[in-house]
Amino acid sequence: MTVTTESPRLQRLKAALAEIADISHAQQVLEWDARVSMPRAGAKARADIASTVTRLAHRRFVSDEIGKLLTELDGEGQDPESLEGALIRITKREWTRASQIPSELAGELVQAGGIGVAAWDEAKAASDFESFKPHLERQLELRRRYIACFPKTDDPYDVLLDEYEEGLTTAQVEEIFARLKGELLQLVDRHREDPIEDVPGPFPVERQRAAGELVLEAFGYDPDSWRLDETPHPFAAKPGFGDIRLTTHTDESDLTSLFSTMHEFGHGVYEFDIDPSFARTPLARGTSSTIHESQSRTWENLVGRSRGFWTWFYPQLQALFPDALGGVDDVSFVRSVSAVRPGPIRGDADEVTYGLHIIMRFELERELLAGTIAVSDLPEVWNARMKESLGVDVPDDAHGVLQDMHWSTGLFGYFPTYQLGNVVSVQIWDRACAELGELEEQFARGEFAPLREWLSEQIYRHGGRYAPSDLLRRVTGSGIDPEPYLKYLHTKFA
Amino acid sequence: MIDPKFEQLRERLAETQDLTKAATLLFWDQRVMMPPGGAAARAEAIATVTRLGQERFVTDDIGRFLEDLRDFEESSDYDSFEASLIRVTRRDYEKATRVPPELVGEISRASALGLSAWGPAKEDSNFEALRPHLEENLELRHRYVACFDPPDETYDVLLDNFEPNMKTAEVREIFDQLKEELVPMIREIAETGEIDDSFLEGAFDLEAQRTFSLDVLQRFGYTEEEWRLDQTPHPFMTTPGHRDIRLTTNFRPDNLSSLFATMHEFGHGLYEWGVDESLAGTPLASGVSLGLHESQSRTWENLVGRSRSFWRYFYPRLQAILPSQLGSVDEEAFYRAVNKVEPSLIRIDADEVTYNMHIILRFELEQDLIDGRVAVPDLPEAWNTKMHEYLGVDVPDDAHGVLQDMHWAAGGFGYFPTYALGNVISVQIWEKAKEDLGDFDESFEQGEFGELREWLREHLHRLGRKFTPQETIQRVTGSPIDAKPYVHYLREKLAPQAV
Repeated sequence: MTVTTESPRLQRLKAALAEIADISHAQQVLEWDARVSMPRAGAKARADIASTVTRLAHRRFVSDEIGKLLTELDGEGQDPESLEGALIRITKREWTRASQIPSELAGELVQAGGIGVAAWDEAKAASDFESFKPHLERQLELRRRYIACFPKTDDPYDVLLDEYEEGLTTAQVEEIFARLKGELLQLVDRHREDPIEDVPGPFPVERQRAAGELVLEAFGYDPDSWRLDETPHPFAAKPGFGDIRLTTHTDESDLTSLFSTMHEFGHGVYEFDIDPSFARTPLARGTSSTIHESQSRTWENLVGRSRGFWTWFYPQLQALFPDALGGVDDVSFVRSVSAVRPGPIRGDADEVTYGLHIIMRFELERELLAGTIAVSDLPEVWNARMKESLGVDVPDDAHGVLQDMHWSTGLFGYFPTYQLGNVVSVQIWDRACAELGELEEQFARGEFAPLREWLSEQIYRHGGRYAPSDLLRRVTGSGIDPEPYLKYLHTKFA
Repeated sequence: MIDPKFEQLRERLAETQDLTKAATLLFWDQRVMMPPGGAAARAEAIATVTRLGQERFVTDDIGRFLEDLRDFEESSDYDSFEASLIRVTRRDYEKATRVPPELVGEISRASALGLSAWGPAKEDSNFEALRPHLEENLELRHRYVACFDPPDETYDVLLDNFEPNMKTAEVREIFDQLKEELVPMIREIAETGEIDDSFLEGAFDLEAQRTFSLDVLQRFGYTEEEWRLDQTPHPFMTTPGHRDIRLTTNFRPDNLSSLFATMHEFGHGLYEWGVDESLAGTPLASGVSLGLHESQSRTWENLVGRSRSFWRYFYPRLQAILPSQLGSVDEEAFYRAVNKVEPSLIRIDADEVTYNMHIILRFELEQDLIDGRVAVPDLPEAWNTKMHEYLGVDVPDDAHGVLQDMHWAAGGFGYFPTYALGNVISVQIWEKAKEDLGDFDESFEQGEFGELREWLREHLHRLGRKFTPQETIQRVTGSPIDAKPYVHYLREKLAPQAV
């Protein structure tokens, strides 16, 4: 950070935070490895290790020393608009949240998460909900204990939401989702009778990988700082500044890996473009899950499912898959990858049905936490609601309640940020279009740098400097608003 | 009656152990997975996690537990888990409390940065790029040594980190014996004429090599459930957690040397894997010294992997995988080729005899560096001179000379001698195993290695760090470290009269 006169207190705070940042990098490696490279038998030891690291880091962070520094720094009257002000604001928020819970619980949550995710892996492979049940029950029990550590809120779920999305309340989410749900259901209904235009494969895995690399390269993936691996459940991680890791899931029968790669690129580029002077501070990460998700959805959908993108990329894709795509023209191809097609899997869902998958999870996890749904009834309830909202029959639990890893590792309150990310992505996108002109024409020429640079300037480089709602206001001039998103969907899926 | 303080100590040690394992994973990831852009952040992360572990270990309360547990220790059987844990922890603690955590952090940071610089320096054969890191590492070693009581020789303190309780003078004595035997042996072999090993060079599909390596490993006892095998420029083994054993090897497109590297690393992995379950999560849960560790890697690489009976089983399988390269080479020719003794440039590719000279050279040079008899900028020249003197080879560039190994870049001075000590110990243990079980030829010929594996586990691996290396060797073989069986083995197997 560019600072001329930095107070000794601030220096001490930064030194302490640098350590915490290092440990959080270590935690990310522990987690990334557990999902990408660890032999299965290592899961138990890994959960213990991650738990110890978390517990000790937590104890260090919530120490009186940092609390005292924060109080004293308050007295120094840092400009809240300055970087230092932002650093202190974030630290105070995180310190206050962390201080609510005992270090032992922080460790326990991570331990149960490690064991839970390993159990989920096996349960999903065998479509065996019964074996996963005790782990889910334990996660819920831990989350309830976690919530109980915090001051009472209007809704207990507020505590969880606030962790991923500063200041967001359950009531706000309910309002936005209520607005979306009706519209989405209508859209789904309108398209229910659309002719199915599947593009059958096979699409050999190696070639899909090559296709993914072509796209990433055009988007601005730097192999010296990034890597791309294969996992059952795609994700992105940043185990250190300058070290961005994406994963994707490749299945020979379709091209979804391409979209999940673009999705994870959006997460990766947000982290990668953060101002390097923020390294080893809590400013060095995206400001919230929603803003993060808005960026992954931007690159996956607004870019990756646009006509301009495919004008540029389709000939290359055809060349990679001459057998499957030789006889398919670009218009039918784009139609097929954008078609509204209700299905059981969230990760494969189109832009319209996706929101309904999320809204359902939002409702279910609140009911699970409240105890109004028993864990043992969950698969049945899940399947009934899938039928009700999307008209989909769930063939088995692997394609139903076991499809996502989130709950296995204790991520309750996280799902809504996916759909809010969709909403926000279009707000930001509209702004980008207003400033950058015809983006699709640029995409058609394979030019993605102007968009990336604009996003970088407006959003990425700031990392966590601005609270999510402030950032959104700076970029778009308004708060979170579902209308632009609905307009986008209505236009695209007219 | 278990003293409740013992349980408290054990819990604290489990924490430290967890932090060590976290750092281990950071290190593995750095070498196997991390994009180069992550190097700086990784160095910081490793330093912080290492320092945290160190700080958590050297606290006064651990010291108090150890004091309070003296009576309990004395009343417990020397061989018991409890007495061993207290004894070993006391030794570790007394060592660790000598070194300030800041220095430990600095050392590990410099090590990580040195390692990151080493890769490109080696690739470009650019010693100058590594030089400042070596200087920094040496400087830190001096500060490290200064934390201890003045030793007989400065090098003793460094050696002790890898081969606890052993003195430089003892190593020198063993190495002098080896030198005396091996230098003439190498000359004699050179005079007996060429063994054809031209078929070991060529084009070898990397996937085929991997398939074969995994075939061998699985016969040895590797399972996907608990192990993994990756590709790195410099093969190594590490265990980032209980039942999580990671090997790396270096598959090369133009030769088959990776096979031996794979078996070598398997030996290391097996030692860690075989440590008694009850020691998991404690500082006793690893091999006792690098010398003993190396004895195990050399067992599987050489005593098993370069034996006739091993190849009786595996050679047809290798031929089936590489028919165009090996279809017309018979088993005896192949056996002779992989056992060919010939002075060469690269340590890890060296045969069983000349290998030791590579080590002795490094052992001598690192003492020269530490004692200031050789300055870092002069190191390449000193290296090349000694290579010529001991092995009669001329080093074409630093990539094939002083930059070939990562150890010094990572600050690992005092490490190299354990490789040759491992050779020595491996044969002592091997002889003992054969004494108990008869020779293994018949089972190896059938691709069965379980008998040897179980014997090693029962007699050595399961002990972990419960006893000192010296006690361990004594318990396993009935005698102290001794170069004679090894020299005898080399003569029998490789000296001209035996070929």
